[in-house]
Amino acid sequence: MKRNLWSSLVITLLLVSSAYSVKVGESAPEFQATDSNGHVQKLSGNRGKFVVLEWHNNGCPYTEKHYESRNMQRLQNEWKSKGVVWFTVISSAPGQQGYVTAQQENEYLKQMGASPTAALLDPKGDVGRLYSAKTTPHMFVVNPAGVLIYDGAIDSKPTTDQADIPSAKNYVSQALEEAIAGKPVSTPTSRPYGCSVKYGH
Amino acid sequence: MLQMLNRSIIWSLGILVASAACLVSPTPGVADQPADKYVKVELVSEQDAIVPGKDLWLGFRFDLQNEWHTYWINPGDSGEAPRIEWQLPAGFQAGAIRWPYPERLSTPPFADYGYEHQVLLMAPVRPPAQLKDGETQKIAARVRYLVCRDVCIPGQQQLELTLRVKSAAPASPAGELFRATRARLPVPAPPSWKISAASIGEEFVLDLESGKPAKTPQFLPLHAEQIENAAPQVASALPGGVRLHLKKSKHLLKPISRLEGVVVFASGNAYVVNVPVSQLGKGSHTQ
Repeated sequence: MKRNLWSSLVITLLLVSSAYSVKVGESAPEFQATDSNGHVQKLSGNRGKFVVLEWHNNGCPYTEKHYESRNMQRLQNEWKSKGVVWFTVISSAPGQQGYVTAQQENEYLKQMGASPTAALLDPKGDVGRLYSAKTTPHMFVVNPAGVLIYDGAIDSKPTTDQADIPSAKNYVSQALEEAIAGKPVSTPTSRPYGCSVKYGH
Repeated sequence: MLQMLNRSIIWSLGILVASAACLVSPTPGVADQPADKYVKVELVSEQDAIVPGKDLWLGFRFDLQNEWHTYWINPGDSGEAPRIEWQLPAGFQAGAIRWPYPERLSTPPFADYGYEHQVLLMAPVRPPAQLKDGETQKIAARVRYLVCRDVCIPGQQQLELTLRVKSAAPASPAGELFRATRARLPVPAPPSWKISAASIGEEFVLDLESGKPAKTPQFLPLHAEQIENAAPQVASALPGGVRLHLKKSKHLLKPISRLEGVVVFASGNAYVVNVPVSQLGKGSHTQ
């Protein structure tokens, strides 16, 4: 019992300290998660490529804004065609909004016409907490050297209104375009906007 | 085939336009949207009439169901502040919304800033000096907002209020709520106070010197991504006040020149903070 208490304390401390270890300009932390097709995905398996992480909750109105408008699907297709790896990450705990089984997620992807490289199922919230993912969506971009180059919102208009998308500056595309052109990322962080990530307690 | 496709596109466009029109201007009072179950929003006036040329205080009263909240101007780690678009008669001018200080809504490891139960977001509206006594004026606004419990629902309302022009205005039934809300509006700190801020390593240090010791005030930042919203704000005593240690946001990559926000004391008194930040840096020689 006592040992359990100590080990959970140690785990808690590790999680707390790791919550602050993700910082733009530093190495993106390694993670491992099972995707909706049962494959294990690791960040380190994608060295040499840009990787986008998209936090997702299919019941969140901010996520719906970008999926019902097909903005997210368009971004996924555009950047995948340019060799970028796109992971959709679902950190909702069982019983919470946005939690899905592998089968439900595959049905959702099909229904929405969404095609990320993979949808990672993170019901314990380990990857989410490791990255300190706050909202859905919350976007991260990792460069081919494994360094985090963007951490923040999907774009510059923090609303649920689809009509705001065309006039918004998309920070993910901007970061990828600039980094691919060998330029520094002009907006490396922003306030992520959306619903809170529905972690378990 | 092409024709059919065209027709179906036109048909769906028609539906889209129709539904967009519904969204833009639902009939007041008959709006039917999921958010209405959890929040009621009304446009209210402090006074029962418009006096030409004299500021009139109007407000948006949010009545929230238990457990639901809406957001402050800086919503914190998630959420979104209400947005207001005035539709005023010619010659009328609205001032800025006055935001009562919010509660810190903790959802570890994050925190939001918002309001539960009831909040009034008020603003002054100045009518023109030339208005005919006895005529009526319609003031309208569109409000968009987000309400959340564990889940979030966006909503919007087209609101309006018709008031008569008079030479003197009696208080309206909402007058008391305006008075109560003013007590929650942050005010400038007394000129005798010394407030200063410094950037030291991973934190901002905010010194509040009023001449008296103060217990653990809370700093609420006006701007997002300057401090970690959920980090404990450690207070230490100063001879004539209190020092607050604020953990910098990991999203803050460049120094900030000013620290802006609200400081709330245990008494419920709230003061505006807007001070330059001196860069002391950890182990740095420069000041």
